[in-house]
Amino acid sequence: MLVQEIIHKEPVTISPDTKLFAAYELMLKKNIRHLPVLENGKLVGIITDRDLRSATSKLAEVPFQPEDEVGKIMVKNVITVHPKDPIDVAAKLMRENKIGCLPVMENDALVGIVTISDMLDALLKLTGVHRPSGRLEINLSDKPGELAKLAQHLAERKVNIHSILTYPAVNGKIRIVLRISTIDIRGIAQGLCNAGFEVIWPTQMSCAD
Amino acid sequence: MCGLVVHPKYLDYDLGDRHPFSPLRIQMVTELLTELGHKLKFETPEVVPPEKLEIIHDPEYIEVVEKAGKGIEAENFEQYGLGTADNPVKTGMAESARYIAGGTLHGAKLLLEGKFNKVLQFGGGFHHARKNLAAGFCLYNDLALAIKEMTLHGWHVAYLDIDVHHGDGVQELFYDDDKVMTISLHESGEFLFPGTGWIYESGKGMGRSLKLNLPLEPFTEGDSYIFVLEKLLDEALSYFKPDALIVQAGADPHFSDPLADLMLTTNDFEKIYKIILQKTDAYAKGKVMFTFGGGYSLVATARIWSLLYLVLTGSGIPDKLPVAWKQKWEERLGIKISDSFHDPNPSYNPIPRKEEITNHNKDMLRRLLDMVTPDWL
Repeated sequence: MLVQEIIHKEPVTISPDTKLFAAYELMLKKNIRHLPVLENGKLVGIITDRDLRSATSKLAEVPFQPEDEVGKIMVKNVITVHPKDPIDVAAKLMRENKIGCLPVMENDALVGIVTISDMLDALLKLTGVHRPSGRLEINLSDKPGELAKLAQHLAERKVNIHSILTYPAVNGKIRIVLRISTIDIRGIAQGLCNAGFEVIWPTQMSCAD
Repeated sequence: MCGLVVHPKYLDYDLGDRHPFSPLRIQMVTELLTELGHKLKFETPEVVPPEKLEIIHDPEYIEVVEKAGKGIEAENFEQYGLGTADNPVKTGMAESARYIAGGTLHGAKLLLEGKFNKVLQFGGGFHHARKNLAAGFCLYNDLALAIKEMTLHGWHVAYLDIDVHHGDGVQELFYDDDKVMTISLHESGEFLFPGTGWIYESGKGMGRSLKLNLPLEPFTEGDSYIFVLEKLLDEALSYFKPDALIVQAGADPHFSDPLADLMLTTNDFEKIYKIILQKTDAYAKGKVMFTFGGGYSLVATARIWSLLYLVLTGSGIPDKLPVAWKQKWEERLGIKISDSFHDPNPSYNPIPRKEEITNHNKDMLRRLLDMVTPDWL
């Protein structure tokens, strides 16, 4: 999944001479937390609701005033992504830099932004249930042809695979979570078990040798 | 008095010898009750013509299902969920599904006309059928057709789904309808088909906070099930005050069911049916229709639905199964059937995570009620 598939196009932007109070009102009105700052069409900074609140807080050594300009407090070295970057690159950048938003740049122009909320939507898309289906969990050996065998087994039983998720399991195995088009998941699982697959869910099966 | 509905054509809803959704179940229940000396007087429903299903399903979907039922191949079967292991294409299935839909619709009319206050439909319960998708053995959504008929007469209807699988089709078809409350108790979608039925699926628009889902932990036992069911029905029905209750009475939460993981016994089912009748009298003007549904352990299912009839008619519950019935079905199915009508006590080994499961289910009920009740003004 690429950044361009989860991107928010035409983001709301401000300029360095926007007043802090105006930036704050804009965030409230649009119900957003991040504003990229553009000057002559170029990205020159970014400001978050937290930057605003910290800068103007009474607890600050010298609090900024509502009439001050955004350019004085914005973050200037902006971390960005490209529309063709995979979303895991975006996720990694957000985690490592402890930030919640990445402007998306193409040919030096701002084309959109990606936020943590967009990442959560992507997670829902990847793990969610989009058609009525049963859940099957299998541990596969980490070698060529294992997934093919599993898919073949299901195809022979006229069972459609709606989604596949994988993640590392113990013992160097690969955990496969399938959503498949059957209510009779145990029948399928029993068959897989008998064929030598390590079935994690559904449980409580005794396999034929 | 309890109205009974069935048509010989129900038995044609046969998806193959090795398919779990067996028409034998209807035959087994009918014979078991007859052997027990009950004279079953059935109402015979009329078939629903295809065009009348358009109130629920897309015309293109109906057309494809009807063609499939006549053995006419279509390239886009898969798009409509047909031709799969769960919903294979069998001759006669579409017509039979329309007879069954006719039965559930007939049951609704019996309630509407006041001919009976209690109805038992000896089939149906196709709760997974969607607007344009066959799924989980279901083609036409008989329940939705019946509920729609009732709401068109101005009735408010509460739909209770105790099948072990989430009643996703019925929920979806009435998701924004303020005349229909849906309540589904099921094994959590994390573990079981169809994968939906989370508490946050609570309706939208006019139907907001009227679609209630209680996903239960695998290996949930009767005590925990009955505790959350009774509390949920009290809260939901005392608020909604429906004109009638429609119950999809799947028998697959039974501990022996091969497709799922809940642990109800026949004794639990007896208590559950009695509770539903109590709540019907208290909050739903005493009007209720039960349909069949899932239930894939044939003998357990036959005993459970016979029990449903016995509770509905206020009849006594026998200790033993009739010998003739037991012998016939032992021979026919090639399995051993116990002598007793009810499950033995205990029926299964203790569940190690019992306390954790019970707490989890209670917690889930609290979270559900915390979410929807603020909207119940």
